[in-house]
Amino acid sequence: MLSSERRSLVRFLAIYLGSTLILFSLGSYIFYNFQKYQIIDSQNAQLQLEAEKIVQKLRELHQTFDEPLLYPNDPTFDSAIYDVDRGYIFGTFKPKKIDWNKEFYKEKEKIFYLHTLKPYYLGASYLLVSKNFDPKPLNKLIKMLFLFLVGAGVLFTILGLFLGRLFIAPMKESIELMNRFIEDTTHELNTPISTILTNIELLDTIYNCEGQKEMRRIEMASKTLSRLYEDLTFLKLNHNYHRAVESLNISDLLNERIEFFHTLIEAKNIKIIKNIDPNISLEIDKNDALRLLDNLLSNAIKYNHKFGKLEVTLIANRLEVQNDGQGIKKENISLIQKRFRRANSSEGGFGIGLDIIGQVVKRYDFTFTIDSDYNHLTKVTLKW
Amino acid sequence: MVKKILITLLFSTVAQAEEPSLLLQQNCLKCHTKQKIPSELIYRRYLMKFSTKERIKKSLASYLKSPKKENSIMPQQFFLKFPPKEALDLNETVLEESVEAYLDYFDVKDRLELKN
Repeated sequence: MLSSERRSLVRFLAIYLGSTLILFSLGSYIFYNFQKYQIIDSQNAQLQLEAEKIVQKLRELHQTFDEPLLYPNDPTFDSAIYDVDRGYIFGTFKPKKIDWNKEFYKEKEKIFYLHTLKPYYLGASYLLVSKNFDPKPLNKLIKMLFLFLVGAGVLFTILGLFLGRLFIAPMKESIELMNRFIEDTTHELNTPISTILTNIELLDTIYNCEGQKEMRRIEMASKTLSRLYEDLTFLKLNHNYHRAVESLNISDLLNERIEFFHTLIEAKNIKIIKNIDPNISLEIDKNDALRLLDNLLSNAIKYNHKFGKLEVTLIANRLEVQNDGQGIKKENISLIQKRFRRANSSEGGFGIGLDIIGQVVKRYDFTFTIDSDYNHLTKVTLKW
Repeated sequence: MVKKILITLLFSTVAQAEEPSLLLQQNCLKCHTKQKIPSELIYRRYLMKFSTKERIKKSLASYLKSPKKENSIMPQQFFLKFPPKEALDLNETVLEESVEAYLDYFDVKDRLELKN
Protein backbone atom coordinates (compact mmCIF):
# COMPACT_ATOMS: atom_id res chain seq x y z
CA MET A 1 0.00 0.00 0.00
CA LEU A 2 1.37 3.43 -0.95
CA SER A 3 1.95 5.99 1.79
CA SER A 4 -0.69 8.32 0.30
CA GLU A 5 -3.22 5.45 0.33
CA ARG A 6 -2.28 4.58 3.90
CA ARG A 7 -2.59 8.23 4.89
CA SER A 8 -6.05 8.49 3.29
CA LEU A 9 -7.17 5.26 4.93
CA VAL A 10 -5.87 6.35 8.34
CA ARG A 11 -7.57 9.75 8.01
CA PHE A 12 -10.85 8.15 6.96
CA LEU A 13 -10.67 5.63 9.81
CA ALA A 14 -9.78 8.35 12.31
CA ILE A 15 -12.79 10.49 11.32
CA TYR A 16 -15.15 7.52 10.99
CA LEU A 17 -14.11 5.77 14.20
CA GLY A 18 -13.72 9.04 16.09
CA SER A 19 -17.23 10.22 15.25
CA THR A 20 -18.64 6.73 15.93
CA LEU A 21 -16.83 6.62 19.27
CA ILE A 22 -18.14 10.07 20.25
CA LEU A 23 -21.69 9.10 19.22
CA PHE A 24 -21.61 5.77 21.05
CA SER A 25 -19.94 7.27 24.13
CA LEU A 26 -22.59 9.98 24.28
CA GLY A 27 -25.36 7.40 23.84
CA SER A 28 -23.80 5.15 26.46
CA TYR A 29 -23.42 8.07 28.87
CA ILE A 30 -27.09 9.02 28.50
CA PHE A 31 -28.17 5.37 28.82
CA TYR A 32 -25.89 4.89 31.85
CA ASN A 33 -27.33 7.91 33.63
CA PHE A 34 -30.90 6.87 32.83
CA GLN A 35 -30.27 3.33 34.10
CA LYS A 36 -28.31 4.58 37.12
CA TYR A 37 -31.24 6.72 38.24
CA GLN A 38 -33.57 3.77 37.70
CA ILE A 39 -31.35 1.58 39.91
CA ILE A 40 -31.19 4.29 42.58
CA ASP A 41 -34.97 4.80 42.31
CA SER A 42 -35.61 1.08 42.80
CA GLN A 43 -33.41 1.08 45.91
CA ASN A 44 -35.11 4.25 47.15
CA ALA A 45 -38.45 2.48 46.67
CA GLN A 46 -37.23 -0.25 49.04
CA LEU A 47 -36.53 2.45 51.64
CA GLN A 48 -40.01 3.91 51.13
CA LEU A 49 -41.59 0.48 51.57
CA GLU A 50 -39.62 -0.11 54.76
CA ALA A 51 -40.64 3.35 56.03
CA GLU A 52 -44.33 2.49 55.46
CA LYS A 53 -43.87 -0.71 57.50
CA ILE A 54 -42.19 1.19 60.35
CA VAL A 55 -44.91 3.87 60.37
CA GLN A 56 -47.55 1.14 60.64
CA LYS A 57 -45.63 -0.39 63.53
CA LEU A 58 -45.24 3.02 65.24
CA ARG A 59 -49.00 3.54 65.00
CA GLU A 60 -49.53 0.17 66.68
CA LEU A 61 -46.96 0.96 69.37
CA HIS A 62 -48.56 4.34 70.00
CA GLN A 63 -51.76 2.55 70.96
CA THR A 64 -49.94 -0.02 73.08
CA PHE A 65 -49.63 0.57 76.78
CA ASP A 66 -47.86 -2.65 77.70
CA GLU A 67 -44.17 -2.46 78.29
CA PRO A 68 -41.74 -2.72 76.63
CA LEU A 69 -42.57 -0.99 73.33
CA LEU A 70 -40.69 -3.11 70.79
CA TYR A 71 -39.24 -0.95 68.01
CA PRO A 72 -39.07 -2.74 64.59
CA ASN A 73 -35.60 -3.93 63.73
CA ASP A 74 -34.88 -5.23 60.22
CA PRO A 75 -31.18 -6.19 59.77
CA THR A 76 -31.19 -4.89 56.17
CA PHE A 77 -32.26 -1.40 57.20
CA ASP A 78 -31.34 1.17 59.80
CA SER A 79 -33.97 3.57 61.09
CA ALA A 80 -34.41 6.32 63.65
CA ILE A 81 -37.27 8.55 64.75
CA TYR A 82 -36.98 12.26 65.53
CA ASP A 83 -39.41 14.71 67.14
CA VAL A 84 -40.76 17.84 65.49
CA ASP A 85 -37.76 19.85 66.77
CA ARG A 86 -35.44 17.24 65.22
CA GLY A 87 -34.48 15.77 68.57
CA TYR A 88 -33.52 12.09 68.56
CA ILE A 89 -36.16 9.78 70.08
CA PHE A 90 -35.10 6.22 69.31
CA GLY A 91 -33.72 4.06 66.55
CA THR A 92 -31.41 1.32 65.41
CA PHE A 93 -28.75 3.90 64.52
CA LYS A 94 -27.91 7.52 65.25
CA PRO A 95 -26.25 9.28 62.28
CA LYS A 96 -24.13 12.28 63.12
CA LYS A 97 -25.26 14.39 60.20
CA ILE A 98 -28.69 14.44 58.57
CA ASP A 99 -29.72 16.38 55.48
CA TRP A 100 -33.13 17.58 56.66
CA ASN A 101 -33.85 19.33 53.34
CA LYS A 102 -33.76 16.26 51.12
CA GLU A 103 -36.20 13.39 50.96
CA PHE A 104 -33.58 11.04 49.49
CA TYR A 105 -29.85 11.40 49.68
CA LYS A 106 -26.67 9.37 49.49
CA GLU A 107 -23.71 9.59 51.80
CA LYS A 108 -20.66 7.45 51.22
CA GLU A 109 -22.01 3.94 50.65
CA LYS A 110 -25.40 4.51 52.31
CA ILE A 111 -28.68 5.81 50.95
CA PHE A 112 -31.14 7.67 53.16
CA TYR A 113 -34.86 8.37 53.08
CA LEU A 114 -36.37 11.01 55.33
CA HIS A 115 -40.09 10.40 55.83
CA THR A 116 -42.27 12.99 57.57
CA LEU A 117 -45.05 11.80 59.88
CA LYS A 118 -48.27 13.39 60.97
CA PRO A 119 -49.83 12.64 63.43
CA TYR A 120 -46.73 12.16 65.51
CA TYR A 121 -46.93 8.53 66.63
CA LEU A 122 -44.76 8.16 69.73
CA GLY A 123 -43.88 11.81 69.16
CA ALA A 124 -42.09 10.99 65.92
CA SER A 125 -42.25 13.74 63.30
CA TYR A 126 -39.42 12.39 61.14
CA LEU A 127 -38.48 8.85 60.30
CA LEU A 128 -35.02 8.33 58.81
CA VAL A 129 -34.52 5.02 57.01
CA SER A 130 -31.17 3.97 55.60
CA LYS A 131 -29.53 1.01 53.92
CA ASN A 132 -26.24 0.20 52.23
CA PHE A 133 -26.35 1.08 48.57
CA ASP A 134 -26.13 -2.15 46.57
CA PRO A 135 -23.49 -1.47 43.85
CA LYS A 136 -23.98 -4.80 42.04
CA PRO A 137 -26.61 -3.62 39.50
CA LEU A 138 -24.55 -0.49 38.76
CA ASN A 139 -21.34 -2.52 38.29
CA LYS A 140 -23.23 -4.90 36.05
CA LEU A 141 -24.45 -1.96 33.98
CA ILE A 142 -20.92 -0.52 33.65
CA LYS A 143 -19.57 -3.94 32.62
CA MET A 144 -22.35 -4.34 30.06
CA LEU A 145 -21.73 -0.87 28.60
CA PHE A 146 -17.97 -1.51 28.46
CA LEU A 147 -18.50 -4.79 26.60
CA PHE A 148 -20.94 -3.05 24.28
CA LEU A 149 -18.42 -0.29 23.50
CA VAL A 150 -15.61 -2.81 22.91
CA GLY A 151 -17.87 -4.95 20.71
CA ALA A 152 -19.11 -1.92 18.76
CA GLY A 153 -15.51 -0.67 18.45
CA VAL A 154 -14.33 -3.96 16.94
CA LEU A 155 -17.34 -4.22 14.63
CA PHE A 156 -17.05 -0.62 13.42
CA THR A 157 -13.28 -0.92 12.96
CA ILE A 158 -13.78 -3.93 10.68
CA LEU A 159 -16.59 -2.11 8.88
CA GLY A 160 -14.43 1.03 8.65
CA LEU A 161 -11.53 -0.90 7.15
CA PHE A 162 -13.83 -2.50 4.59
CA LEU A 163 -15.44 0.86 3.71
CA GLY A 164 -12.06 2.61 3.68
CA ARG A 165 -10.62 0.13 1.21
CA LEU A 166 -13.75 0.49 -0.88
CA PHE A 167 -13.40 4.29 -0.92
CA ILE A 168 -9.70 4.37 -1.79
CA ALA A 169 -10.06 1.72 -4.50
CA PRO A 170 -10.63 4.33 -7.30
CA MET A 171 -7.64 6.35 -6.03
CA LYS A 172 -5.50 3.22 -5.96
CA GLU A 173 -6.61 2.39 -9.48
CA SER A 174 -5.69 5.89 -10.70
CA ILE A 175 -2.27 5.72 -9.06
CA GLU A 176 -1.59 2.31 -10.60
CA LEU A 177 -2.71 3.62 -13.96
CA MET A 178 -0.38 6.61 -13.63
CA ASN A 179 2.51 4.42 -12.51
CA ARG A 180 1.94 2.11 -15.46
CA PHE A 181 1.90 5.11 -17.77
CA ILE A 182 5.14 6.48 -16.30
CA GLU A 183 6.73 3.04 -16.54
CA ASP A 184 5.75 2.64 -20.17
CA THR A 185 6.77 6.19 -21.03
CA THR A 186 10.15 5.95 -19.34
CA HIS A 187 10.79 2.62 -20.97
CA GLU A 188 10.04 4.08 -24.38
CA LEU A 189 12.21 7.15 -23.62
CA ASN A 190 15.30 5.24 -22.57
CA THR A 191 16.46 3.98 -25.94
CA PRO A 192 16.16 7.24 -27.94
CA ILE A 193 17.82 9.31 -25.17
CA SER A 194 20.73 6.90 -24.93
CA THR A 195 21.10 6.93 -28.72
CA ILE A 196 21.11 10.73 -28.85
CA LEU A 197 23.68 11.08 -26.05
CA THR A 198 25.98 8.41 -27.50
CA ASN A 199 25.83 9.95 -30.93
CA ILE A 200 26.53 13.45 -29.64
CA GLU A 201 29.61 12.13 -27.89
CA LEU A 202 30.64 10.35 -31.12
CA LEU A 203 30.10 13.52 -33.13
CA ASP A 204 32.17 15.43 -30.63
CA THR A 205 35.00 12.91 -30.64
CA ILE A 206 35.19 11.81 -34.26
CA TYR A 207 34.01 14.83 -36.24
CA ASN A 208 34.96 18.40 -35.82
CA CYS A 209 31.57 19.62 -36.82
CA GLU A 210 30.33 23.16 -37.05
CA GLY A 211 27.44 24.33 -34.97
CA GLN A 212 29.00 23.54 -31.61
CA LYS A 213 26.48 25.82 -29.90
CA GLU A 214 23.54 23.86 -31.31
CA MET A 215 25.26 20.60 -30.35
CA ARG A 216 25.58 21.81 -26.75
CA ARG A 217 21.89 22.64 -26.70
CA ILE A 218 20.99 19.17 -27.94
CA GLU A 219 23.34 17.65 -25.34
CA MET A 220 21.79 19.80 -22.59
CA ALA A 221 18.25 18.85 -23.55
CA SER A 222 19.20 15.17 -23.79
CA LYS A 223 20.85 15.21 -20.38
CA THR A 224 17.76 16.83 -18.87
CA LEU A 225 15.65 14.11 -20.42
CA SER A 226 18.10 11.45 -19.23
CA ARG A 227 17.97 12.76 -15.66
CA LEU A 228 14.19 12.88 -15.77
CA TYR A 229 14.20 9.29 -16.92
CA GLU A 230 16.49 8.31 -14.03
CA ASP A 231 14.31 10.13 -11.51
CA LEU A 232 11.11 8.53 -12.75
CA THR A 233 12.71 5.08 -12.76
CA PHE A 234 13.96 5.68 -9.23
CA LEU A 235 10.48 6.63 -8.03
CA LYS A 236 8.86 3.70 -9.78
CA LEU A 237 11.38 1.07 -8.63
CA ASN A 238 12.16 2.61 -5.26
CA HIS A 239 10.41 -0.11 -3.29
CA ASN A 240 11.77 -3.10 -5.17
CA TYR A 241 15.24 -1.91 -6.08
CA HIS A 242 18.09 -3.94 -4.62
CA ARG A 243 20.59 -1.55 -3.00
CA ALA A 244 24.31 -2.20 -2.80
CA VAL A 245 25.39 0.01 0.06
CA GLU A 246 29.15 0.63 -0.15
CA SER A 247 31.76 3.10 1.00
CA LEU A 248 31.51 5.61 -1.81
CA ASN A 249 33.98 8.38 -2.56
CA ILE A 250 31.41 11.13 -2.53
CA SER A 251 34.01 13.82 -3.34
CA ASP A 252 34.81 12.18 -6.69
CA LEU A 253 31.17 11.53 -7.43
CA LEU A 254 30.24 15.14 -6.65
CA ASN A 255 32.97 16.45 -8.99
CA GLU A 256 31.81 14.03 -11.66
CA ARG A 257 28.18 15.18 -11.34
CA ILE A 258 29.19 18.86 -11.45
CA GLU A 259 31.05 18.03 -14.65
CA PHE A 260 27.93 16.26 -15.95
CA PHE A 261 25.98 19.50 -15.42
CA HIS A 262 28.65 21.76 -16.93
CA THR A 263 26.65 22.35 -20.09
CA LEU A 264 23.66 23.57 -18.02
CA ILE A 265 25.97 25.68 -15.81
CA GLU A 266 27.66 27.26 -18.82
CA ALA A 267 24.36 27.88 -20.56
CA LYS A 268 23.26 30.09 -17.64
CA ASN A 269 26.72 31.59 -17.14
CA ILE A 270 26.67 30.51 -13.53
CA LYS A 271 29.86 31.01 -11.56
CA ILE A 272 30.64 27.82 -9.69
CA ILE A 273 32.62 27.87 -6.45
CA LYS A 274 33.74 24.42 -5.32
CA ASN A 275 34.95 23.83 -1.77
CA ILE A 276 35.15 20.04 -2.00
CA ASP A 277 37.41 18.23 0.41
CA PRO A 278 39.01 15.22 -1.34
CA ASN A 279 38.30 11.59 -0.53
CA ILE A 280 35.22 12.05 1.64
CA SER A 281 33.50 8.70 1.80
CA LEU A 282 29.92 7.86 2.62
CA GLU A 283 28.11 4.54 3.15
CA ILE A 284 25.47 4.71 0.43
CA ASP A 285 24.15 2.94 -2.64
CA LYS A 286 25.61 4.56 -5.75
CA ASN A 287 22.28 5.06 -7.50
CA ASP A 288 20.80 6.70 -4.37
CA ALA A 289 23.85 9.00 -4.15
CA LEU A 290 23.51 9.86 -7.84
CA ARG A 291 19.83 10.77 -7.47
CA LEU A 292 20.59 12.79 -4.36
CA LEU A 293 23.42 14.81 -5.87
CA ASP A 294 21.80 15.20 -9.30
CA ASN A 295 18.62 16.58 -7.80
CA LEU A 296 20.44 18.92 -5.42
CA LEU A 297 22.63 20.29 -8.24
CA SER A 298 19.88 20.36 -10.84
CA ASN A 299 17.58 22.39 -8.54
CA ALA A 300 20.40 24.76 -7.63
CA ILE A 301 21.11 25.34 -11.33
CA LYS A 302 17.52 25.42 -12.49
CA TYR A 303 16.39 28.00 -9.92
CA ASN A 304 19.52 30.16 -10.21
CA HIS A 305 19.74 33.55 -11.94
CA LYS A 306 21.70 33.99 -15.13
CA PHE A 307 25.24 35.03 -14.17
CA GLY A 308 24.43 33.81 -10.66
CA LYS A 309 26.65 32.02 -8.22
CA LEU A 310 26.60 28.35 -7.18
CA GLU A 311 28.64 27.37 -4.16
CA VAL A 312 29.16 23.69 -3.42
CA THR A 313 30.84 22.79 -0.12
CA LEU A 314 31.69 19.25 0.97
CA ILE A 315 33.38 18.53 4.26
CA ALA A 316 33.61 15.40 6.45
CA ASN A 317 30.00 15.21 7.52
CA ARG A 318 28.22 17.88 5.54
CA LEU A 319 27.28 18.90 2.03
CA GLU A 320 26.04 22.43 1.34
CA VAL A 321 24.67 23.72 -1.95
CA GLN A 322 23.96 27.42 -2.09
CA ASN A 323 22.66 29.42 -5.05
CA ASP A 324 21.76 33.01 -5.84
CA GLY A 325 18.34 32.01 -6.91
CA GLN A 326 14.82 33.18 -6.55
CA GLY A 327 14.60 31.84 -3.01
CA ILE A 328 11.59 30.15 -1.47
CA LYS A 329 8.96 31.72 0.73
CA LYS A 330 9.04 30.36 4.29
CA GLU A 331 5.51 28.97 4.09
CA ASN A 332 6.43 27.00 0.93
CA ILE A 333 9.52 25.25 2.33
CA SER A 334 7.65 22.29 3.85
CA LEU A 335 5.18 22.16 0.94
CA ILE A 336 7.77 21.71 -1.82
CA GLN A 337 9.18 18.57 -0.22
CA LYS A 338 6.04 16.70 -1.22
CA ARG A 339 5.87 14.88 -4.52
CA PHE A 340 4.52 16.88 -7.49
CA ARG A 341 4.56 20.14 -5.47
CA ARG A 342 6.51 23.14 -6.72
CA ALA A 343 7.00 26.59 -5.27
CA ASN A 344 6.77 28.18 -8.72
CA SER A 345 6.30 26.98 -12.26
CA SER A 346 8.82 29.30 -13.90
CA GLU A 347 11.05 26.33 -14.72
CA GLY A 348 10.24 22.97 -16.23
CA GLY A 349 9.89 19.83 -14.15
CA PHE A 350 7.46 17.57 -12.35
CA GLY A 351 8.24 18.56 -8.78
CA ILE A 352 9.69 15.19 -7.87
CA GLY A 353 13.27 16.31 -7.10
CA LEU A 354 12.85 17.17 -3.41
CA ASP A 355 10.64 14.12 -2.90
CA ILE A 356 13.48 11.92 -4.16
CA ILE A 357 15.97 13.79 -1.95
CA GLY A 358 13.57 13.33 0.99
CA GLN A 359 13.29 9.59 0.34
CA VAL A 360 17.07 9.10 0.21
CA VAL A 361 17.58 11.26 3.31
CA LYS A 362 14.96 9.24 5.19
CA ARG A 363 16.42 5.91 4.09
CA TYR A 364 19.93 6.78 5.35
CA ASP A 365 18.86 8.86 8.39
CA PHE A 366 20.52 12.00 7.06
CA THR A 367 19.47 15.50 8.10
CA PHE A 368 18.27 17.81 5.37
CA THR A 369 17.55 21.49 5.86
CA ILE A 370 16.56 24.31 3.53
CA ASP A 371 17.37 27.91 4.46
CA SER A 372 16.13 30.51 2.10
CA ASP A 373 16.14 34.26 1.84
CA TYR A 374 13.32 34.98 -0.59
CA ASN A 375 14.53 36.60 -3.84
CA HIS A 376 18.08 36.40 -2.63
CA LEU A 377 19.59 32.98 -1.94
CA THR A 378 18.81 29.41 -0.99
CA LYS A 379 21.09 27.08 0.93
CA VAL A 380 20.42 23.38 1.31
CA THR A 381 22.43 21.46 3.86
CA LEU A 382 22.78 17.71 4.07
CA LYS A 383 24.33 16.21 7.19
CA TRP A 384 25.21 12.61 7.94
CA MET B 1 -22.01 -5.32 103.96
CA VAL B 2 -20.98 -2.89 101.15
CA LYS B 3 -22.57 -5.29 98.65
CA LYS B 4 -25.84 -5.21 100.58
CA ILE B 5 -25.86 -1.40 100.69
CA LEU B 6 -25.20 -1.22 96.92
CA ILE B 7 -28.00 -3.70 96.14
CA THR B 8 -30.41 -1.78 98.42
CA LEU B 9 -29.45 1.52 96.71
CA LEU B 10 -29.90 -0.01 93.26
CA PHE B 11 -33.34 -1.39 94.09
CA SER B 12 -34.44 1.89 95.63
CA THR B 13 -33.37 3.76 92.44
CA VAL B 14 -35.30 1.33 90.22
CA ALA B 15 -38.34 1.67 92.51
CA GLN B 16 -38.06 5.46 92.25
CA ALA B 17 -37.97 5.29 88.43
CA GLU B 18 -40.98 3.03 88.22
CA GLU B 19 -43.08 4.60 90.93
CA PRO B 20 -44.69 8.04 90.38
CA SER B 21 -43.21 10.87 92.38
CA LEU B 22 -45.01 12.11 95.42
CA LEU B 23 -45.77 15.38 93.69
CA LEU B 24 -47.31 13.57 90.73
CA GLN B 25 -49.18 11.17 92.99
CA GLN B 26 -50.68 13.98 95.09
CA ASN B 27 -51.44 16.54 92.40
CA CYS B 28 -52.48 14.27 89.52
CA LEU B 29 -52.69 10.55 89.86
CA LYS B 30 -54.60 10.43 93.16
CA CYS B 31 -57.77 11.79 91.55
CA HIS B 32 -57.06 10.29 88.11
CA THR B 33 -56.82 6.81 89.62
CA LYS B 34 -59.85 7.33 91.78
CA GLN B 35 -61.96 8.59 88.88
CA LYS B 36 -60.36 6.11 86.48
CA ILE B 37 -59.21 8.86 84.16
CA PRO B 38 -56.81 7.26 81.62
CA SER B 39 -53.68 9.35 82.26
CA GLU B 40 -51.43 7.52 79.81
CA LEU B 41 -54.04 7.76 77.06
CA ILE B 42 -54.18 11.53 77.60
CA TYR B 43 -50.37 11.69 77.50
CA ARG B 44 -50.27 9.70 74.23
CA ARG B 45 -52.86 12.02 72.69
CA TYR B 46 -50.78 15.05 73.63
CA LEU B 47 -47.66 13.30 72.34
CA MET B 48 -49.34 12.52 69.01
CA LYS B 49 -50.33 16.17 68.61
CA PHE B 50 -47.29 18.06 69.97
CA SER B 51 -44.41 15.60 69.59
CA THR B 52 -41.94 17.22 72.05
CA LYS B 53 -41.97 17.47 75.80
CA GLU B 54 -41.64 21.25 75.76
CA ARG B 55 -44.59 21.73 73.44
CA ILE B 56 -46.77 19.32 75.46
CA LYS B 57 -45.76 21.00 78.70
CA LYS B 58 -46.77 24.41 77.37
CA SER B 59 -50.17 23.19 76.15
CA LEU B 60 -50.94 21.06 79.22
CA ALA B 61 -50.00 23.81 81.67
CA SER B 62 -52.16 26.24 79.74
CA TYR B 63 -55.13 23.82 79.96
CA LEU B 64 -54.62 23.15 83.66
CA LYS B 65 -54.67 26.85 84.42
CA SER B 66 -58.00 27.16 82.62
CA PRO B 67 -59.54 23.70 82.25
CA LYS B 68 -62.25 24.20 79.61
CA LYS B 69 -63.43 21.89 76.87
CA GLU B 70 -62.30 24.36 74.21
CA ASN B 71 -58.77 24.50 75.70
CA SER B 72 -58.42 20.74 75.64
CA ILE B 73 -57.23 18.53 72.84
CA MET B 74 -59.38 15.61 74.03
CA PRO B 75 -62.49 14.74 71.96
CA GLN B 76 -65.88 16.05 73.09
CA GLN B 77 -67.11 12.53 73.95
CA PHE B 78 -64.28 12.28 76.49
CA PHE B 79 -65.88 15.05 78.56
CA LEU B 80 -69.21 13.21 78.63
CA LYS B 81 -67.53 10.61 80.76
CA PHE B 82 -64.93 12.83 82.41
CA PRO B 83 -66.31 16.36 82.79
CA PRO B 84 -63.73 19.18 83.11
CA LYS B 85 -62.83 19.91 86.70
CA GLU B 86 -61.99 23.12 88.52
CA ALA B 87 -58.56 24.70 88.03
CA LEU B 88 -55.99 23.37 90.46
CA ASP B 89 -55.03 25.60 93.30
CA LEU B 90 -51.32 25.34 92.62
CA ASN B 91 -48.73 27.99 92.17
CA GLU B 92 -46.92 28.29 88.85
CA THR B 93 -43.77 26.42 89.92
CA VAL B 94 -45.59 23.49 91.48
CA LEU B 95 -47.87 23.23 88.45
CA GLU B 96 -44.90 23.14 86.11
CA GLU B 97 -43.10 20.61 88.26
CA SER B 98 -46.22 18.42 88.38
CA VAL B 99 -46.60 18.54 84.58
CA GLU B 100 -42.88 17.75 84.21
CA ALA B 101 -43.26 14.78 86.54
CA TYR B 102 -46.34 13.59 84.62
CA LEU B 103 -44.50 13.75 81.30
CA ASP B 104 -41.43 12.01 82.67
CA TYR B 105 -43.52 9.26 84.22
CA PHE B 106 -45.26 8.35 80.96
CA ASP B 107 -42.35 9.19 78.63
CA VAL B 108 -42.17 6.62 75.80
CA LYS B 109 -38.43 6.98 75.22
CA ASP B 110 -37.65 4.90 78.29
CA ARG B 111 -40.12 2.24 77.28
CA LEU B 112 -38.87 1.68 73.77
CA GLU B 113 -36.66 -1.33 73.16
CA LEU B 114 -35.21 -2.89 70.03
CA LYS B 115 -37.04 -5.95 68.78
CA ASN B 116 -34.68 -8.89 68.48
